[in-house]
Amino acid sequence: MAEDSEEEDYMKMTFPDPSTSSLPQKETSLQRRLRLRREAEARSRPKSKAELLAEAESRLQQTHSQSLFSPSPSSSSTTAPKSKGLKMMAKMGFTGGSLGASSSKKDGLVEPIRVEVRDGREGIGLRSEKKRKLEEAMKARDEEVKKARVDEEGYRERVRREREDARLERLVWAAMGVAETMDSESRDRKVKTVPVVYRGLVRKREEVERKAREEKMGRGVGVVQATKTGLPTFDDPDEDADDRHALGRTVDDETEEYVVEEGDDEDVELDKFNALAPDERLRRVVEYLRDRHRYCFWCKYQYPDEDMLGCPGLTEEDHD
Amino acid sequence: MADGRSGSKRSSADIDNSTQDSKRVKMAKGGDAKDSDRLNPYLAHHYEDDNNGQKNGFGGPLDKLQRHTTTAAQAAAAEDSDLNPWTGQPHSQRYFDILKTRRNLPVSKQRQEFLNMYHEKQILVFVGETGSGKTTQIPQYVLYDELPHLTGKLIACTQPRRVAAMSVAQRVANELDVELGEEVGYSIRFENKTGPKTLLKYMTDGQLLRESMHDHDMSRYGCIILDEAHERTLATDILMALLKQIAGRRKDLKIIVMSATLDAQKFQSYFYDAPLLAVPGRTHPVEIFYTPEPERDYVEAAVRTVLQIHATEPEGDILLFLTGEEEIEDACRRINLEVDDMIRESDAGPMKVYPLYGTLPPAQQQRIFDKAPEPIRPGGRPGRKCIVATNIAETSLTIDGIVYVVDPGFSKQKIYNPRSRVESLLVSPISKASAQQRAGRAGRTRPGKCFRLYTEKAFKKELIEQTYPEILRSNLSNTVLELKKLGVEDLVHFDLMDPPAPETMMRALEELNYLACLDDDGELTKLGSLASEFPLDPALAVMLISSPEFYCSNEILSITSLLSVPQIWVRPNSARKRADEMKQMFAHPDGDHLTLLNAYHAFKAAEQSGQDTKKWCHEHFLSFRHLTSADNVRAQLRRIMETNEIELMSTPFQDKDYYTNIRRALLAGFFMQVAMRESSNSKIYKTVKDDQLVMIHPSTVVSSPYDWVVYNEFVLTTKQYVRTVTNIRPEWLLEIAPVYYDLDTFEKGEIKSALTRITEKIRRRQAMKGGR
Repeated sequence: MAEDSEEEDYMKMTFPDPSTSSLPQKETSLQRRLRLRREAEARSRPKSKAELLAEAESRLQQTHSQSLFSPSPSSSSTTAPKSKGLKMMAKMGFTGGSLGASSSKKDGLVEPIRVEVRDGREGIGLRSEKKRKLEEAMKARDEEVKKARVDEEGYRERVRREREDARLERLVWAAMGVAETMDSESRDRKVKTVPVVYRGLVRKREEVERKAREEKMGRGVGVVQATKTGLPTFDDPDEDADDRHALGRTVDDETEEYVVEEGDDEDVELDKFNALAPDERLRRVVEYLRDRHRYCFWCKYQYPDEDMLGCPGLTEEDHD
Repeated sequence: MADGRSGSKRSSADIDNSTQDSKRVKMAKGGDAKDSDRLNPYLAHHYEDDNNGQKNGFGGPLDKLQRHTTTAAQAAAAEDSDLNPWTGQPHSQRYFDILKTRRNLPVSKQRQEFLNMYHEKQILVFVGETGSGKTTQIPQYVLYDELPHLTGKLIACTQPRRVAAMSVAQRVANELDVELGEEVGYSIRFENKTGPKTLLKYMTDGQLLRESMHDHDMSRYGCIILDEAHERTLATDILMALLKQIAGRRKDLKIIVMSATLDAQKFQSYFYDAPLLAVPGRTHPVEIFYTPEPERDYVEAAVRTVLQIHATEPEGDILLFLTGEEEIEDACRRINLEVDDMIRESDAGPMKVYPLYGTLPPAQQQRIFDKAPEPIRPGGRPGRKCIVATNIAETSLTIDGIVYVVDPGFSKQKIYNPRSRVESLLVSPISKASAQQRAGRAGRTRPGKCFRLYTEKAFKKELIEQTYPEILRSNLSNTVLELKKLGVEDLVHFDLMDPPAPETMMRALEELNYLACLDDDGELTKLGSLASEFPLDPALAVMLISSPEFYCSNEILSITSLLSVPQIWVRPNSARKRADEMKQMFAHPDGDHLTLLNAYHAFKAAEQSGQDTKKWCHEHFLSFRHLTSADNVRAQLRRIMETNEIELMSTPFQDKDYYTNIRRALLAGFFMQVAMRESSNSKIYKTVKDDQLVMIHPSTVVSSPYDWVVYNEFVLTTKQYVRTVTNIRPEWLLEIAPVYYDLDTFEKGEIKSALTRITEKIRRRQAMKGGR
């Protein structure tokens, strides 16, 4: 019967009195239709025995957790008159707390003893042991979920930071380029003494150059390797320096230089510098330029004096 | 032999009849020799006795004694006399035999100490372990001091259990060499075995409480002994509170509170720091073992442990604690099966397994005192017995020879919650105090072992310190009615040792108000006063009192009696199907109450036709014992009805309303226990007002599910059941209990809508009738 009327209700699209509905007010008509359909389905499907038992049990537990002295939130308190039993007790002087003579009152019961139904023949301690394990598992899962949620919230932030880092990285390279140019303009330097602030740039360039050279002189490298391993080579005892040059083979000392250079890759100072965050590297390069060349990377101007009068500050924000 | 007897309160003294004649002669001579040693006055009385002992009422041995000044020596001398000081008859040989064992009881050594304290104080607390002899001896010590035949004031000794009251009374009657029901008697619900000569009366605590409703000062008694007070039954708790009040009014009334456990301090401080006398028990150390892990199935674990003890431990009997009949029988069966295998396969000793629970017939209960079996062949592994018991074996009786205790840590406990009004027996963990008590059972004869089927951590963390007293676990509507009748006005500040939860009190008052036993001001109504005359729950009493209005008081009387005894249906595991078929023979389509009535009527018919009713019951899977006891209850209730001029009547059986009237009459008392079916295809019912979801217990005969049922009890297991149900019509509810079914007091829901529809229907029908 009740189901039919609900169905009819749905067809007419009449809305229930919102005050009686505990659902959020924001529900759209589409959501509502879906919900009503779901509910009707749930109602028409006979509940399994297990479901019914669980429902009965939870109902009992709910009842047991609700004091008779405080009316339940679901009940319409207007119609339920105050218990006559309570009235009689009030007449005897009951004002709350526990019963009993004043001497024993302090340790009297205030709440009824809890009813606990045990499952079958479980031994003492089994349930709490199970519960403890379950709680641990739940806790672990909760933490995971929490972590995942934090990640989700931080996604936009992460993307933003990644972009910023990439931008800073580009700025670092640009600043390094400026520093190198300005240094080379002031005086020449050997690779080994390149300041760490732009040594990375130099290294990278050298590497690129070396790769290009290697490609170009692939065979030459082959010779070196072959010589080292003592395998038969193209080396012709008749070849002279000119022949070698004509064949595109590099001179021995040049080859030697490469080997040294490769060993030099172990540059602790550079590694440390590269490990810094891009903004910090940028700061250092910018500082280097200011200190050494009175050049402000942001103003794009080399100031005439140490004071660098007219430059708003050290950072990019200062120049906004 | 003597030890075997002293160990058991239940064991009948008939064993003593087997005493050899030669012994008798010897004892008689001994008695004579003693007599010659005595002072002359005793001898004088002895000689006088032959002619005028009876004339003086009580001659001889007691003449020297003065009330409240006697010494242990004087009393002992009187006991040693050839003449029974209470009857004037010569003492039998059996008397002297028992006397000898009595003198060996631990409590006997402290007789003088006890008397000194008794003379000095009005209230005293006595602690003695089970087996110390306190239940049988202390009342006799009091008897020889109170000399009730001179004052006319009786001595009462209360027991929590009916069986104990009966068997102890029998035992003490034997000890005093008197006829049970004469000088020593007992009084329990529905049975009174006392007479005008009675001086010492054993009774259930509930019975003393009922008596005091008509005798607020308990003026019949000179001394009241509350035995087994540690059990903290509802009635004992109420009695303690009443006696605390009465003690102020009646300075001549002596009160002794006896407990078997050592936590007597609570009793002492409750009774204005009453002095304590403790009799040390005979105990040996008990080694306690815990399991390393919690058990998945404690019955299984218990069976395993018993078998392991049998296989590996030296000689000694086993006591296993389980919770109820079904579980105990199951465990017994499993142990028996396994033991047979063990004997066949590994040459284990024989083991006898005995169940022990309250509803077991007394003869079978007695078997636990049988000796352990002999080895299968001479020189073979020793036999032992294994007793599988409920917590009856915890404090109230002693079985000698127990060396091993297996304790899964559970017992069946009554629980009541006023919020749902559910009152049920529930398997619950025991308290630490109980666990210690159980362990102590192993150390009665020699050092023993106790195997706890839980971890030490669980013992420490999960078990409560003390078992909750019954008053905290019960529906109090009956108690409140009794207290009202006892003239206790202020229930809120009534000085109970452990006051119940306020909500429990509120529910009790509310229920009594709905039953019209209390008016809106909480005053006892005429109906309430009448209902309190019946030793029944208020709902049953009100149903019985109202039954003439429905022209079926005879039938309701029968149903009430049947509901006051344990289940009459017998359903042995071996013949369940046949038992169910037999039950179907009595089945009434409208419900279990009517089926009970049919079975009872058939039983009476068989009786009247001169059949062997015992055999008839056996054939029909009915409990002869419980049916007879229902018959007895019926006779008692009938007497109360007649005294109160409640008319006994029946609707003619041919009348079509015969059963309808009965169904309606049920509602007059049980209108608060009604459930409505949730929907037409559901097996789930919802209880009226309490809104709990329940199913009908599978034991019902009701096959076609009715929309509305009245039920006798709410049974809580892992499922929620209502048991003993009968089909009713909702319009009867509105008619018979209009106050409770005032629809304005109902919360919104299916039940309210259904009842509203019915109200509407009735109104329309009446309007149509009026219109015609």
